Amino acid sequence: MNDDACQRFAENPEGNAAHLRECAKCAAIYGGVQTHPVNVDALPLAPWEGAAYRSWPLVIGVGLAVLAIALALCAAAGISPFLAIAIETQTQVSRAAFVYQKLRPLGPFAFAALFIAVNSLLVLLLRRAPRGIDA
Amino acid sequence: MRKALLISLTLAATVVTALVAAPLFKTPVPPATFGEAASMMTRTAVSVSLLFVWLITAVVVTLMSGREVRYSSIEVRTSPLHCFALGLVAVTSFVLTAILFSYLIPFVVGIPLLVALAVFAVLTKVYGTIAVFHAIGTIVAGARSRDVMLQRRWLRGDLAMVIIGVLVLGAIRLIPVIGLVVWGIASVFGVGTALATKFGRREPWFLMLRAAT
Repeated sequence: MNDDACQRFAENPEGNAAHLRECAKCAAIYGGVQTHPVNVDALPLAPWEGAAYRSWPLVIGVGLAVLAIALALCAAAGISPFLAIAIETQTQVSRAAFVYQKLRPLGPFAFAALFIAVNSLLVLLLRRAPRGIDA
Repeated sequence: MRKALLISLTLAATVVTALVAAPLFKTPVPPATFGEAASMMTRTAVSVSLLFVWLITAVVVTLMSGREVRYSSIEVRTSPLHCFALGLVAVTSFVLTAILFSYLIPFVVGIPLLVALAVFAVLTKVYGTIAVFHAIGTIVAGARSRDVMLQRRWLRGDLAMVIIGVLVLGAIRLIPVIGLVVWGIASVFGVGTALATKFGRREPWFLMLRAAT
């Protein structure tokens, strides 16, 4: 029996079932393999199924709605949207400065011990492989 | 022994992060004067304006690297405790490293190091928070079966899940005190999942040396 027929059988066993009776080599390899049809629709939904779909009406609708609400609130508060974002940025920076001021007075030994302990723990946690799609 | 050490160090990092990063709690009181009402209106305007910026950023990042965001979102849903612990430890590490670099400012090299750390921290937080948006959107509005997914016209795909997540977290952000706490927790989860999956690439951070066989 030629290799092309064997290859076709390997790629599509159900469509080339007759080949198994004709080829002794394939019968020896695949004869003992238990096969059963798989109902794809019965399988659980995989995370990637339909993930590439882009629902632009939802994006545009939500985006315009949030923009309209933001502009209306900014107008009511008497500030420009750019100023609102600047205020938030300034708040974040001052919060970071607050944290910095709070931790900086740690003594050198306490700071060194904390730094080594936290970064050792970080390295230990980063060594674990992600589970995600394998879970 | 190693597990006990890990748990105790994680608890220590949690305490440090909670001490330094917790918002200043004030009992929310209804506005009594026009000034307080105006201040509340300004805060709401700031929150919604920022929500719009998050929305645009989330859409752009999801369009650019949807698969990576999805992988990170799956990770935060399958290993939430690991992501939270890693996020807490990483945030604490960022703060401590920033303090260490600040001691180097007189030697000039401190400034570029601080800038690099700040850029890395901001990128980690932004990417991770978008992954958390995707995870929340999938939990809230994700299709449970193939039939349901195919029947939906708009509410499917990575982009829609991210948008739903932004809206849910954005609505929570408007609640005084609770909103800040929830966003803080979401940021910790985000930093954790971003680092756990190496920004969705699922590659190891460190090379493993194996003995030749």
